[in-house]
Amino acid sequence: MRLSIFRFNPEKDEKPYMQDYEIAPEQTDRMLLDVLVRLKGRDDSLTFRRSCREGICGSDGMNINGRNGLACITPVKGLKEPVVLRPLPSFPVIRDLVVDMTRFFKQYHSIKPYLINNDPPPERERLQSPEDRAKLDGLYECILCACCTSQCPSSWWNPDKFVGPAGLLQAYRFIIDSRDQATQERLDDLNDAYRLFRCRTIMNCTEVCPRHLSPSRAIEKIRLMMVKDSS
Amino acid sequence: MRRTATGLRAWLVQRVTAVYMLLFIVFLLFHFLLAPPDSYEAWHGWMRNSRIAIPASVFFAALLLHAWVGLRDVLMDYVHPLAWRISALALLAFSLTAIAAWVVRILLMGTA
Repeated sequence: MRLSIFRFNPEKDEKPYMQDYEIAPEQTDRMLLDVLVRLKGRDDSLTFRRSCREGICGSDGMNINGRNGLACITPVKGLKEPVVLRPLPSFPVIRDLVVDMTRFFKQYHSIKPYLINNDPPPERERLQSPEDRAKLDGLYECILCACCTSQCPSSWWNPDKFVGPAGLLQAYRFIIDSRDQATQERLDDLNDAYRLFRCRTIMNCTEVCPRHLSPSRAIEKIRLMMVKDSS
Repeated sequence: MRRTATGLRAWLVQRVTAVYMLLFIVFLLFHFLLAPPDSYEAWHGWMRNSRIAIPASVFFAALLLHAWVGLRDVLMDYVHPLAWRISALALLAFSLTAIAAWVVRILLMGTA
Protein backbone atom coordinates (compact mmCIF):
# COMPACT_ATOMS: atom_id res chain seq x y z
CA MET A 1 0.00 0.00 0.00
CA ARG A 2 1.37 3.41 -1.00
CA LEU A 3 0.82 6.54 1.10
CA SER A 4 1.86 10.16 0.69
CA ILE A 5 1.80 11.96 4.03
CA PHE A 6 2.14 15.64 4.92
CA ARG A 7 5.19 16.12 7.13
CA PHE A 8 6.17 19.20 9.08
CA ASN A 9 8.24 19.49 12.23
CA PRO A 10 8.58 23.21 13.08
CA GLU A 11 11.72 22.52 15.10
CA LYS A 12 13.54 21.00 12.11
CA ASP A 13 11.79 21.80 8.86
CA GLU A 14 11.66 25.14 7.13
CA LYS A 15 8.76 24.09 4.96
CA PRO A 16 6.22 21.26 5.00
CA TYR A 17 6.79 18.43 2.52
CA MET A 18 5.03 15.25 1.39
CA GLN A 19 6.72 11.97 2.34
CA ASP A 20 6.01 8.75 0.46
CA TYR A 21 5.64 5.45 2.32
CA GLU A 22 5.17 1.91 1.07
CA ILE A 23 3.81 -0.64 3.51
CA ALA A 24 2.21 -4.06 3.25
CA PRO A 25 -0.90 -4.04 5.47
CA GLU A 26 -1.49 -7.12 7.61
CA GLN A 27 -4.79 -8.93 7.49
CA THR A 28 -5.94 -7.23 10.69
CA ASP A 29 -5.33 -3.73 9.26
CA ARG A 30 -8.90 -2.99 8.27
CA MET A 31 -8.98 0.76 8.89
CA LEU A 32 -6.62 3.51 7.79
CA LEU A 33 -5.65 4.16 11.43
CA ASP A 34 -4.37 0.56 11.74
CA VAL A 35 -1.99 1.25 8.85
CA LEU A 36 -0.91 4.57 10.38
CA VAL A 37 -0.16 2.92 13.74
CA ARG A 38 1.88 0.24 11.93
CA LEU A 39 3.69 2.98 10.02
CA LYS A 40 4.50 4.79 13.27
CA GLY A 41 6.13 1.58 14.49
CA ARG A 42 8.51 1.93 11.56
CA ASP A 43 8.97 5.72 11.63
CA ASP A 44 8.30 7.03 15.12
CA SER A 45 8.72 10.66 14.05
CA LEU A 46 5.36 10.45 12.22
CA THR A 47 2.86 12.34 14.39
CA PHE A 48 -0.94 12.10 14.55
CA ARG A 49 -3.68 12.10 17.18
CA ARG A 50 -5.75 9.05 17.99
CA SER A 51 -7.48 7.73 21.05
CA CYS A 52 -10.61 5.55 21.01
CA ARG A 53 -9.94 4.13 17.50
CA GLU A 54 -13.67 3.59 16.94
CA GLY A 55 -15.10 6.91 15.74
CA ILE A 56 -16.24 8.28 19.10
CA CYS A 57 -13.47 10.53 20.38
CA GLY A 58 -12.96 12.53 17.18
CA SER A 59 -9.17 12.79 17.61
CA ASP A 60 -7.98 11.47 14.26
CA GLY A 61 -9.82 13.82 11.92
CA MET A 62 -7.63 14.36 8.84
CA ASN A 63 -7.83 15.03 5.14
CA ILE A 64 -7.83 11.69 3.33
CA ASN A 65 -7.47 11.89 -0.45
CA GLY A 66 -8.88 15.42 -0.37
CA ARG A 67 -11.82 14.64 1.89
CA ASN A 68 -12.01 15.08 5.65
CA GLY A 69 -12.72 11.98 7.70
CA LEU A 70 -11.70 9.91 10.69
CA ALA A 71 -8.82 7.55 9.95
CA CYS A 72 -10.18 5.00 12.45
CA ILE A 73 -13.45 4.43 10.58
CA THR A 74 -12.11 4.81 7.03
CA PRO A 75 -11.73 1.30 5.55
CA VAL A 76 -8.40 0.67 3.84
CA LYS A 77 -10.24 -1.24 1.14
CA GLY A 78 -11.32 1.03 -1.69
CA LEU A 79 -8.90 3.89 -0.92
CA LYS A 80 -7.29 5.23 -4.06
CA GLU A 81 -3.49 4.92 -3.99
CA PRO A 82 -1.29 6.62 -3.15
CA VAL A 83 -3.43 7.59 -0.17
CA VAL A 84 -2.74 11.30 0.34
CA LEU A 85 -2.98 12.33 3.99
CA ARG A 86 -2.96 15.97 5.06
CA PRO A 87 -3.87 17.78 8.28
CA LEU A 88 -7.38 19.30 8.50
CA PRO A 89 -7.47 22.13 5.90
CA SER A 90 -7.23 25.74 7.15
CA PHE A 91 -6.32 24.76 10.73
CA PRO A 92 -2.86 25.84 11.97
CA VAL A 93 -0.48 22.85 11.86
CA ILE A 94 1.37 21.97 15.06
CA ARG A 95 3.24 19.00 13.62
CA ASP A 96 2.56 16.55 10.76
CA LEU A 97 -1.16 15.64 10.98
CA VAL A 98 -1.73 17.36 14.35
CA VAL A 99 -3.56 20.70 14.16
CA ASP A 100 -4.30 23.51 16.59
CA MET A 101 -8.01 23.35 17.52
CA THR A 102 -8.04 26.51 19.70
CA ARG A 103 -10.06 28.66 17.30
CA PHE A 104 -12.49 25.81 16.64
CA PHE A 105 -13.24 25.38 20.34
CA LYS A 106 -13.44 29.14 20.88
CA GLN A 107 -16.27 29.28 18.33
CA TYR A 108 -17.89 26.26 19.96
CA HIS A 109 -17.79 27.92 23.40
CA SER A 110 -19.18 31.16 21.96
CA ILE A 111 -22.60 29.57 21.43
CA LYS A 112 -22.81 28.66 25.16
CA PRO A 113 -22.94 24.90 24.73
CA TYR A 114 -24.74 24.19 27.99
CA LEU A 115 -28.32 24.20 29.25
CA ILE A 116 -29.46 27.63 30.48
CA ASN A 117 -32.35 27.23 32.88
CA ASN A 118 -32.84 29.54 35.84
CA ASP A 119 -35.58 27.51 37.55
CA PRO A 120 -34.38 25.79 40.70
CA PRO A 121 -33.24 22.28 39.80
CA PRO A 122 -35.83 19.61 40.65
CA GLU A 123 -34.95 16.86 43.09
CA ARG A 124 -34.14 14.43 40.30
CA GLU A 125 -33.69 15.44 36.66
CA ARG A 126 -35.41 18.04 34.42
CA LEU A 127 -37.98 15.97 32.57
CA GLN A 128 -38.71 16.10 28.87
CA SER A 129 -41.41 14.38 26.81
CA PRO A 130 -40.22 11.63 24.43
CA GLU A 131 -41.25 13.90 21.52
CA ASP A 132 -39.11 16.79 22.81
CA ARG A 133 -36.25 14.41 23.42
CA ALA A 134 -36.53 13.11 19.85
CA LYS A 135 -35.83 16.64 18.57
CA LEU A 136 -32.26 16.31 19.85
CA ASP A 137 -31.55 13.24 17.70
CA GLY A 138 -29.08 14.01 14.95
CA LEU A 139 -27.69 16.90 17.01
CA TYR A 140 -26.30 15.59 20.30
CA GLU A 141 -24.22 12.88 18.58
CA CYS A 142 -21.60 15.39 17.36
CA ILE A 143 -18.10 14.43 18.54
CA LEU A 144 -16.44 17.76 17.66
CA CYS A 145 -13.88 16.18 15.34
CA ALA A 146 -13.92 19.40 13.23
CA CYS A 147 -14.15 17.53 9.91
CA CYS A 148 -17.11 19.75 8.90
CA THR A 149 -15.77 23.14 9.98
CA SER A 150 -12.38 22.44 8.42
CA GLN A 151 -14.02 21.59 5.08
CA CYS A 152 -16.33 24.66 5.07
CA PRO A 153 -15.26 27.47 2.69
CA SER A 154 -17.20 30.05 4.76
CA SER A 155 -15.09 29.02 7.75
CA TRP A 156 -11.92 29.29 5.64
CA TRP A 157 -12.65 32.95 4.79
CA ASN A 158 -13.92 34.08 8.22
CA PRO A 159 -12.77 31.56 10.86
CA ASP A 160 -12.71 34.23 13.57
CA LYS A 161 -16.24 35.55 12.97
CA PHE A 162 -18.28 32.71 11.45
CA VAL A 163 -19.25 30.14 14.10
CA GLY A 164 -18.89 27.29 11.61
CA PRO A 165 -21.04 24.18 11.06
CA ALA A 166 -19.99 22.28 14.21
CA GLY A 167 -20.76 25.24 16.48
CA LEU A 168 -24.05 25.99 14.72
CA LEU A 169 -25.19 22.37 14.97
CA GLN A 170 -24.63 22.63 18.74
CA ALA A 171 -26.32 26.05 18.84
CA TYR A 172 -29.44 24.46 17.34
CA ARG A 173 -29.15 21.54 19.76
CA PHE A 174 -29.69 24.00 22.65
CA ILE A 175 -32.16 26.29 20.81
CA ILE A 176 -34.51 23.34 20.22
CA ASP A 177 -34.07 21.81 23.70
CA SER A 178 -37.40 22.14 25.57
CA ARG A 179 -35.52 22.51 28.88
CA ASP A 180 -33.49 25.52 27.73
CA GLN A 181 -34.82 29.00 28.57
CA ALA A 182 -32.40 31.15 26.57
CA THR A 183 -33.87 30.45 23.11
CA GLN A 184 -34.42 34.13 22.30
CA GLU A 185 -30.94 35.19 23.44
CA ARG A 186 -29.41 32.37 21.42
CA LEU A 187 -31.29 33.41 18.25
CA ASP A 188 -30.38 37.09 18.76
CA ASP A 189 -26.74 36.20 19.32
CA LEU A 190 -26.56 34.50 15.91
CA ASN A 191 -28.44 37.19 14.01
CA ASP A 192 -25.72 39.36 12.57
CA ALA A 193 -23.92 39.39 9.23
CA TYR A 194 -21.25 36.89 10.32
CA ARG A 195 -22.03 34.37 13.05
CA LEU A 196 -24.65 32.38 11.14
CA PHE A 197 -25.27 34.19 7.88
CA ARG A 198 -21.82 33.60 6.36
CA CYS A 199 -23.23 30.14 5.56
CA ARG A 200 -23.71 29.89 1.78
CA THR A 201 -25.40 26.47 2.00
CA ILE A 202 -22.37 24.86 0.34
CA MET A 203 -23.14 21.71 2.39
CA ASN A 204 -19.59 20.34 2.53
CA CYS A 205 -20.25 19.93 6.26
CA THR A 206 -23.10 17.47 5.77
CA GLU A 207 -21.19 15.76 2.97
CA VAL A 208 -18.13 14.93 5.09
CA CYS A 209 -19.59 14.40 8.59
CA PRO A 210 -18.25 10.99 9.73
CA ARG A 211 -21.26 10.66 12.05
CA HIS A 212 -23.69 11.39 9.17
CA LEU A 213 -25.14 14.43 10.91
CA SER A 214 -26.45 17.43 8.99
CA PRO A 215 -25.19 20.84 10.13
CA SER A 216 -26.73 22.37 6.96
CA ARG A 217 -30.20 21.26 8.07
CA ALA A 218 -29.62 22.65 11.58
CA ILE A 219 -28.54 25.99 10.10
CA GLU A 220 -31.63 26.05 7.88
CA LYS A 221 -33.85 25.37 10.90
CA ILE A 222 -32.23 28.19 12.88
CA ARG A 223 -32.90 30.55 9.95
CA LEU A 224 -36.55 29.48 9.77
CA MET A 225 -36.93 30.01 13.53
CA MET A 226 -35.50 33.52 13.08
CA VAL A 227 -38.00 34.23 10.28
CA LYS A 228 -40.91 33.07 12.47
CA ASP A 229 -39.51 35.03 15.39
CA SER A 230 -39.31 38.27 13.40
CA SER A 231 -42.83 38.10 11.94
CA MET B 1 -35.06 40.71 17.56
CA ARG B 2 -32.28 43.27 17.35
CA ARG B 3 -33.18 46.18 15.10
CA THR B 4 -29.66 46.57 13.76
CA ALA B 5 -29.60 42.98 12.54
CA THR B 6 -28.32 42.80 8.98
CA GLY B 7 -28.08 39.02 9.01
CA LEU B 8 -31.65 37.80 8.70
CA ARG B 9 -32.91 40.88 6.86
CA ALA B 10 -30.27 40.67 4.12
CA TRP B 11 -30.86 36.94 3.77
CA LEU B 12 -34.63 37.44 3.44
CA VAL B 13 -34.20 40.24 0.89
CA GLN B 14 -32.07 37.94 -1.24
CA ARG B 15 -34.63 35.08 -1.12
CA VAL B 16 -37.71 37.23 -1.76
CA THR B 17 -36.11 39.13 -4.66
CA ALA B 18 -34.93 35.85 -6.19
CA VAL B 19 -38.47 34.45 -6.23
CA TYR B 20 -39.90 37.64 -7.75
CA MET B 21 -37.21 37.76 -10.44
CA LEU B 22 -37.76 34.11 -11.32
CA LEU B 23 -41.51 34.63 -11.73
CA PHE B 24 -41.01 37.79 -13.80
CA ILE B 25 -38.45 36.12 -16.09
CA VAL B 26 -40.77 33.16 -16.67
CA PHE B 27 -43.56 35.62 -17.49
CA LEU B 28 -41.29 37.49 -19.95
CA LEU B 29 -40.21 34.24 -21.63
CA PHE B 30 -43.83 33.16 -22.09
CA HIS B 31 -44.78 36.55 -23.43
CA PHE B 32 -41.98 36.57 -26.02
CA LEU B 33 -42.72 32.98 -27.02
CA LEU B 34 -46.49 33.37 -27.34
CA ALA B 35 -46.87 36.99 -28.49
CA PRO B 36 -43.54 38.36 -29.70
CA PRO B 37 -43.73 42.07 -30.62
CA ASP B 38 -43.30 42.48 -34.40
CA SER B 39 -41.76 45.93 -34.39
CA TYR B 40 -39.81 48.31 -32.21
CA GLU B 41 -42.94 50.46 -31.79
CA ALA B 42 -44.96 47.47 -30.60
CA TRP B 43 -42.25 46.54 -28.08
CA HIS B 44 -41.90 50.15 -26.94
CA GLY B 45 -45.66 50.55 -26.55
CA TRP B 46 -45.87 47.31 -24.58
CA MET B 47 -43.14 48.43 -22.21
CA ARG B 48 -44.75 51.85 -21.79
CA ASN B 49 -47.98 50.28 -20.60
CA SER B 50 -48.11 50.80 -16.84
CA ARG B 51 -49.25 47.19 -16.37
CA ILE B 52 -45.77 46.18 -17.59
CA ALA B 53 -43.71 49.23 -16.63
CA ILE B 54 -44.47 48.93 -12.92
CA PRO B 55 -43.66 45.19 -12.56
CA ALA B 56 -40.56 45.80 -14.71
CA SER B 57 -39.45 48.60 -12.40
CA VAL B 58 -40.00 46.30 -9.42
CA PHE B 59 -37.93 43.66 -11.26
CA PHE B 60 -34.98 46.01 -11.62
CA ALA B 61 -35.31 47.16 -8.01
CA ALA B 62 -35.24 43.48 -6.97
CA LEU B 63 -32.25 42.83 -9.24
CA LEU B 64 -30.27 45.71 -7.74
CA LEU B 65 -31.11 44.72 -4.14
CA HIS B 66 -30.23 41.11 -4.90
CA ALA B 67 -26.93 42.17 -6.46
CA TRP B 68 -26.15 44.41 -3.48
CA VAL B 69 -26.66 41.63 -0.91
CA GLY B 70 -24.84 39.02 -3.01
CA LEU B 71 -21.82 41.15 -3.91
CA ARG B 72 -21.65 42.57 -0.38
CA ASP B 73 -21.41 38.96 0.82
CA VAL B 74 -18.62 38.20 -1.65
CA LEU B 75 -16.68 41.28 -0.52
CA MET B 76 -17.20 40.39 3.16
CA ASP B 77 -15.83 36.92 2.44
CA TYR B 78 -12.77 37.84 0.41
CA VAL B 79 -11.81 41.47 1.09
CA HIS B 80 -10.57 41.71 4.68
CA PRO B 81 -8.40 44.87 4.99
CA LEU B 82 -10.85 47.54 6.16
CA ALA B 83 -9.74 50.31 3.78
CA TRP B 84 -10.02 47.99 0.78
CA ARG B 85 -13.39 46.71 1.89
CA ILE B 86 -14.87 50.19 2.41
CA SER B 87 -13.55 51.31 -0.99
CA ALA B 88 -14.95 48.21 -2.71
CA LEU B 89 -18.34 48.56 -1.01
CA ALA B 90 -18.46 52.27 -1.90
CA LEU B 91 -17.60 51.51 -5.53
CA LEU B 92 -20.28 48.81 -5.58
CA ALA B 93 -22.90 51.12 -4.04
CA PHE B 94 -22.00 53.86 -6.53
CA SER B 95 -22.21 51.48 -9.53
CA LEU B 96 -25.56 50.05 -8.44
CA THR B 97 -26.96 53.56 -7.83
CA ALA B 98 -25.79 54.65 -11.28
CA ILE B 99 -27.47 51.61 -12.84
CA ALA B 100 -30.63 52.42 -10.85
CA ALA B 101 -30.61 55.99 -12.17
CA TRP B 102 -30.20 54.70 -15.70
CA VAL B 103 -33.09 52.25 -15.26
CA VAL B 104 -35.33 55.06 -13.97
CA ARG B 105 -34.39 57.19 -16.96
CA ILE B 106 -35.22 54.49 -19.50
CA LEU B 107 -38.26 52.90 -17.89
CA LEU B 108 -40.04 55.76 -16.21
CA MET B 109 -38.91 58.82 -18.16
CA GLY B 110 -38.94 57.06 -21.53
CA THR B 111 -35.57 58.37 -22.75
CA ALA B 112 -32.59 56.25 -23.62
